Amino acid sequence: MFLLPLSLLKTAQGHPMLVELKNGETYNGHLVNCDTWMNIHLREVICTSKDGDRFWRMPECYIRGNTIKYLRVPDEVIDKVQEEKARSDRKPPGVGRGRGRGREDGAGGRGAKGIGRGFDDGGAKGLVGRGRGGSSGKPGGNRGGGRGRG
Amino acid sequence: MLFFSYFKDLVGREVTVELKNDLAIRGTLHSVDQYLNIKLENTRVVDQDKYPHMLSVRNCFIRGSVVRYVQLPPDGVDIELLHDATRREARGS
Amino acid sequence: MSGPGLESLVDQTISVITNDGRNIVGILKGFDQATNIILDESHERVYSTKEGVQLLVLGLYIIRGDNISIVGELDEELDSHLDLSSLRAHPLKPVIH
Repeated sequence: MFLLPLSLLKTAQGHPMLVELKNGETYNGHLVNCDTWMNIHLREVICTSKDGDRFWRMPECYIRGNTIKYLRVPDEVIDKVQEEKARSDRKPPGVGRGRGRGREDGAGGRGAKGIGRGFDDGGAKGLVGRGRGGSSGKPGGNRGGGRGRG
Repeated sequence: MLFFSYFKDLVGREVTVELKNDLAIRGTLHSVDQYLNIKLENTRVVDQDKYPHMLSVRNCFIRGSVVRYVQLPPDGVDIELLHDATRREARGS
Repeated sequence: MSGPGLESLVDQTISVITNDGRNIVGILKGFDQATNIILDESHERVYSTKEGVQLLVLGLYIIRGDNISIVGELDEELDSHLDLSSLRAHPLKPVIH
């Protein structure tokens, strides 16, 4: 299934994420909102300096999209966006019978959640120390996300 | 659009693309777009001992914004044609 | 326009070189006009001259297009024969515009 980066980002609203800027600073926080320029609004933010040796806590911040290098979002967000997309592809909004989530009829369609993907990380506590079954065997590590914390 | 058209005519030829991180990649020009993003096939990095980072990559997309030079095949420039096209572009017609 | 889009690489394993010289490998889940990309199940390959290539698990990433240099199609066959633990190299230089 093909996804647009900005759709994924939109779906990540309310989730914790890590943002690295081009200047090397990282921002850990919960996504409040974003726009089509990738400008983002975070809450409950911890900013980490480029070298990972200094920290600032702030209640919220706005980041201009073009200063971003990458965003790390919780794994389960991609399942969420795929479900939403599958649902809207099946039923274009405003067409036919009532809107909202119909009952899963079991036949066809994906199961409700998390096919092949664990939910062990819960996603509540930032992005530190995550990992995934499929990735076991690879050395762990947490560039950016884990630096200087914990 | 001149360079876009020009590169489109070079599709299928062997070129070497030198990037702004000093990496040079040689391969067959597969396609190009209006941003001068380039797709190469059968790629190999020119100095593989120094840059083994792409050893398992045979086809790649190179973002136009990071290209420093494209080395062309020796017979890849029809100077008369390019002169004409340049004049036309300058005139804006 | 039929340019060098990334359509053909969706759901495949790709190797991305970023402008700051990192090498990130993952499954391409999507992209847009600006070459922003979604990488799933990604990991970074960290090159050094002192030891073999280190792998760092990264997970789900959105990489901004203006931070991307190369998107390479990872040939799984070639990659499986690569002995990363014995590969030594300097990290790639960052792109200087």
